[in-house]
This record gives sequence, structure tokens and C-alpha cells, in this order.
Amino acid sequence: MRVRFWGTRGSLPVSVNGSTIARKVAKALMQAGGRRFADEAEAQQFVETELDFATGRGYGGATSCVEIRDAETAFFICDMGSGLREFGLNAMARCAAGHPRRYNFFLSHMHWDHIMGFPFFVGNFDDKAVITIYSGHADAEVALRRQQEEISFPVPFDYLRARFEFVTMQPDTDYAIDGLTVSCIRQHHSHDSYGFRFSDGQSSVVYSTDSEHPAGDMASEHQFEHFFGGADLVICDTMYSLADSVTMKEDWGHSSNLVAVDLCRAARAKRLALFHHEPTYSDEDIQRMHGETIRYEELNREDHPQLEVICTYDGLEVAV
Amino acid sequence: MSWSTRQSESRLIGQPVGRIDEKSWEALLANLTQAVADAAAVNRDFVLDLSAVDYMSSRGLRVLTLARREADKHQIKFTLARPNERMREILSISRYDKIFTVEDSLD
Repeated sequence: MRVRFWGTRGSLPVSVNGSTIARKVAKALMQAGGRRFADEAEAQQFVETELDFATGRGYGGATSCVEIRDAETAFFICDMGSGLREFGLNAMARCAAGHPRRYNFFLSHMHWDHIMGFPFFVGNFDDKAVITIYSGHADAEVALRRQQEEISFPVPFDYLRARFEFVTMQPDTDYAIDGLTVSCIRQHHSHDSYGFRFSDGQSSVVYSTDSEHPAGDMASEHQFEHFFGGADLVICDTMYSLADSVTMKEDWGHSSNLVAVDLCRAARAKRLALFHHEPTYSDEDIQRMHGETIRYEELNREDHPQLEVICTYDGLEVAV
Repeated sequence: MSWSTRQSESRLIGQPVGRIDEKSWEALLANLTQAVADAAAVNRDFVLDLSAVDYMSSRGLRVLTLARREADKHQIKFTLARPNERMREILSISRYDKIFTVEDSLD
């Protein structure tokens, strides 16, 4: 499988403003130390190989949208955040090259940042597309239809051209869907959220976002260790520091980088992907959080195998 | 993890020794809950000596939060003290050094 991150930001899309770009350019010039480049390609090479990630590039600002790619029998997409728009344009090109126009969406929940990309998804207007929306929530269709109502958007749901189907998933049940086995788990979040596990029989990917692991209910974390068990990649909500998650942001429905490491370690997962970045974090903040998480994993490791910790960004593609 | 308590003039001191993780957090919670109640019963504040903690996971850290809530209920202070180098780093990474009072000594 391959996993492509189209949107990795939590709660609200963010964009890079002029002052941020100016600071990045200034830092890049300082790090170049007066070097001259023969052409733009050489300068680009410098940016990509010698600058730190937060200076030379950045994590992006589109909200949650993650594609699981396998046998190309259908598209598998987790959540419909603002990253869905770019996925849709990319998918159109792939469909033109012969990819089946079959989309399987998996909705963690229907909060705005996880469905706001749906009205801008071009596949909705393809009359040959078949779109199946899987969710643990029985009211997923209500949420998507409501978002298309005139008070919020000018194109009603019934004007969309694709053929839609809604499937309510039950936890602890395996679903065979276009070559993958998919299961879900209920998570602690306002109006609930659901995590998903995808397996192709050889490798497995877990998508677990908007999932709080409250201090007052740590005993229940065993079910998540079981759900994450042995996964090749676990995509985790790591929006807050642990301190924030137990103080002012307690009961806001999100988790921390430290809890994610501990759950993955106990689950013997192979890789952890930090996801659903706090929208107030700068690229430097996210990069620092990534470094600290790697260090925490080292402190935690003892004689266990290393848990690789990657930090997601818009456009990242990971082979599993 | 092993656990002991002792009293100073004004405070009850609790000292865990060893690793606090998914296997030992419940024992730490039980010991801390009892120790905080004991401190309150003799009208003392509570301090947790971290000098002999090898490692503390997110569950151990969250136990500190639960224990401080107990201390708040009893209206006594809950303080962390003497973190070793590793614990100091964990408190920093978790930002717990921003939400707890951390003292360098027990004096």
C-alpha cells in the first residue's frame, strides 16, 4: 500500500502569509551564507537538501484528507477536509488515464474540518462516478446534505451527478471493500469519532484522528493498543502537547504526541505518523514537535525495536 | 516501581523508584492518591521526589495530573522536585514543566 497525505492540518485550514514567507526567505539567505547558484535548479537543490524542512518547505495547511492506495481497483480516502479538493483534481487525471471512477470514503466524523472539502470535490459532478461513504455514524448523509443547503453553499446535494451510497459501519466487524479489509473503532470525541484500520493481507494502516485518550480513562487504552496491533503505519491525532491535553484543552477531543508514541509502542506498531497539526503551530513549531517526539521515543525504547516517527505534511507519500 | 514516603517539617514527600509506564501507572496512582490523602490529614503539602525515576510514560505523567486534582480537592499543594536529567527532559517534552511547580531540591 501507499499512503498519500492531501491534508494534515487540524480544525481549520491555514495558509502561509507574507510575513512567514519573508522570514523563510531571510533564514534561507542566512543559511546560504553568500553562496552563489549557477541556476534555479541548483538553488532548488540547496533548498531541498540543505535547508531544514520548516525553512525550505513547510507542512501545509489543508485539513484532514488521506488517501490509501493499493491495487487501484478503487480510491480509498479518509475524510473530506479541505485537502480533498486537490485530491479530486489529481483523481480526475488518474481517471482519465483509466483508473476506475469508484471512490470509497471513510469519514472519521462530520465536524466541519473533516467534510469541508466535499462541496469542492470534482468527482461529485462526474455522472460515471460511484461514491460510497463509509462511516460509523448513521447521520453522515444528513451532515453532507446539510452542508450543501443554500444557506451554506449554492449547489444542493441533489444536483450532484455521481451515484452515492452511504454505509454505516459497526465496530469490531471486518468489511471486505474492493480488495481491502476495513474495520473501525469508536473514539472519544464530541459526537464520537471513528478510527479505521485498512489491511491488504500483507500490510496494514491505521487512521486514528480526533481521538482523545482522557487521563480519567487510561484503562480503556488497551482497546486502542489492540486496534493498532502490529500495524505498519499508524496515523495519529497529535494535535496538542500532553500538558495542553490535560489542562485548558481537556475534553476538546484530541490527543498528544506522547500518548501516540506510547500506544504505538504498546501495540508494537512499526511507524507512527504525526497528524492533525494544531492550526496555530508554525512550521517551526511542528518541526520542533517532531524532533521532541523522536527523542521521547528514544527515551521510551529500552530494548524494544525502534518505532519510526514521521511527521505528515500536505503532499507526503509513504510506502507501507 | 517501588514507593516510599517520609515527612519533612512542612511536607509529606513521596518517592517512586524505577520505571513508570503502562505496567506500573496504576500502582503509582494508588500510592499517590493515598499519600495525598495522608498529607491532607496531617495538614501538610505534598511533594513528589522524582530523583530516582528511570522513566515516566504519558500514563505516569497523567497520573500526576490526577494526583494534583486530588490535592486540589484537599486544598494542599502538589509539587514536583529533584527531577533527574531524563525526567527533566520528559517534563520539558510533555510541557509538564509549564503546568507543575518543579523544585530543584527538597529544602
